[in-house]
Amino acid sequence: MAGAKPQYKRSWKNLLLNKRYQLRFTLFMVGVSAVLMTGLGVWVMKEANEATTVAMARVRGEACPKIPEVIEVPGTTDEPAVPMNIEDAPPAAPEAPAEPPTDEKAAPVKDEKAAPAKDDKARDKAPAADEAAEDKPAEPKEAKPELSKVDPKHVAANNGQADLLAVKALWCTDAECKPETAAPLLIKVKKCDDYVKDKLANAEAVDALRKTSIPVVKCEGGGEPYSVADAEPERHATVQLEETSMTITPTLPTDFADRIVAHHTCEMRQAGSINALEQGRLRILWVLIGTGLLLMLGLALYGIKMTHKVAGPLFKVSLYFAKMRDGRLDKVYNLRKGDQLVDFYEHFKSAHAGVVTMEKDDLARIKATIEAADAAGLGDHASIAELRTLLARKEKSLE
Amino acid sequence: MSDVPSATVVQDGKLGGDVPKRDGGGGKPREPYKRKLSNYLLDKRLQLRYILLVTVLSGVISGSLGYLIYQQRHAASESIERDLAALTQDDKSLKDFQDQVAAGMAAEDRALIYKMVGVGVGLVIILSFYLVLMTHKVAGPLYKISMYFDRMKEGRLGNVTALRRGDMLQDFFGNFREMHEAVRTRLQSDVITMESAAVALRAKATADGRQGLVDALDALDKHITARKKQLL
Repeated sequence: MAGAKPQYKRSWKNLLLNKRYQLRFTLFMVGVSAVLMTGLGVWVMKEANEATTVAMARVRGEACPKIPEVIEVPGTTDEPAVPMNIEDAPPAAPEAPAEPPTDEKAAPVKDEKAAPAKDDKARDKAPAADEAAEDKPAEPKEAKPELSKVDPKHVAANNGQADLLAVKALWCTDAECKPETAAPLLIKVKKCDDYVKDKLANAEAVDALRKTSIPVVKCEGGGEPYSVADAEPERHATVQLEETSMTITPTLPTDFADRIVAHHTCEMRQAGSINALEQGRLRILWVLIGTGLLLMLGLALYGIKMTHKVAGPLFKVSLYFAKMRDGRLDKVYNLRKGDQLVDFYEHFKSAHAGVVTMEKDDLARIKATIEAADAAGLGDHASIAELRTLLARKEKSLE
Repeated sequence: MSDVPSATVVQDGKLGGDVPKRDGGGGKPREPYKRKLSNYLLDKRLQLRYILLVTVLSGVISGSLGYLIYQQRHAASESIERDLAALTQDDKSLKDFQDQVAAGMAAEDRALIYKMVGVGVGLVIILSFYLVLMTHKVAGPLYKISMYFDRMKEGRLGNVTALRRGDMLQDFFGNFREMHEAVRTRLQSDVITMESAAVALRAKATADGRQGLVDALDALDKHITARKKQLL
């Protein structure tokens, strides 16, 4: 007994005293929670997906300001159209008559829709202008076109559209098409292949495609693409322009840049909103998974601890059972605070006390018999010796 | 050992110690046993604790996730209603249509709540019943052992019958049964020892006329008879 008693260490293994009972109840609890979390979680995600889809559709449905199409020369403004035809006389000359720059010649690039409107306006304004001209001589200052306030860079970009207009004029008058720079030209017309072949035989039409860097021409609805590079060889024409004859009057809307900025800002905002919605949907998913896993883990630990409060007393009673089986009727101690099965344990204690009482009764009766035998001088009798052995065993069991 | 009666199967596979004795002749006939729901709650504290825990837990999970489901559905409905209102605001004739759609979606949302509440209540009820049955499989053996404990308290150590099939705590019950049998066997053996000693001493004491010893042996015989009854 010289060695120190090893200190008791509480370990997790000791919490699982009755594996079958404890694991069954804990697993049932965890299982029910897992099934509920999974089933309802799937339902939540289904609803969240629907809500996200609806919200995304709503965001996408919000109309962004359109990018102003440069090919459409604004017919509603009073600003003069850009005289793209270099043969036209520049209207800026101070000697020129005070004719409004709404003449058809002055705006050869405007589209068909804009033209009649402009014509009407011109017709409306023309008498007034004539009257004014009759009343007072034309003032050079008024006749002089106003200089544009638009950034020259935008003007340069605008001028780049002339090539597209040329393609449109050459290719898209008898067929449906929408030319875009450096993109295949999609043609929609009956007998499309013949149409395209005819056009590709036309040097002017091919040149227009080359200027806009259109690589191929395709017929809508499939079919073989026609390479512009394989078309009729480029004709090189020498064009000389007199610098003095070039007058470009920009007619871009004054809010052109603002509208482009507004369009892209809106698109970026929409993309941001859609991204936020998608993130929100994913957040719900991860929160559900995380909560579910934490719940399972917490429940597993709690379940084992909770059932331990039942398994603990049962384990303790089992130890006493073993002692009783071996004939040792020691003192029975109380349960720990917080343990369950207190009533059951009380029953056990009373049963233990009952057995102890029986043993004590036997003891008392045997003692009395031995004493009487001793008094009668039969203390050495073999039966008394047996009774003495029995007495000793019973006394030992009650120690 | 031969004087101690061995256990006899008397009824329905049960042993004599477990079968309640019928009233002797004149008593009223015993009412047939009726299984009641309250019999399933043998240890209310133990069973209700676990049942309440699992039920409340299920209710909380169902409630939280159900609220999330409703929230998502309601958000989607509101979004659709707003879009529809924006689309039809210029056309007064479509107001009825818009109201109809809004009412339809509100009704669907309400139906969802009712459906979830119904499913939740059903789940709680079914779960509670199942848990009563499940915990009964633990409380039943404990109840049975408690009854044996009560008999042991009175000094009655009859036979112990096995648990029902499907009951839990079989190992624990096995330990109890082993202990019970060991104590019973030991006491039976003690009875035999005491009885044989009493028989041997009585012949001697009677022959020698030792009244004190005879009285002691009479008391011992009485004790042995009582103990034998207890060990039946």
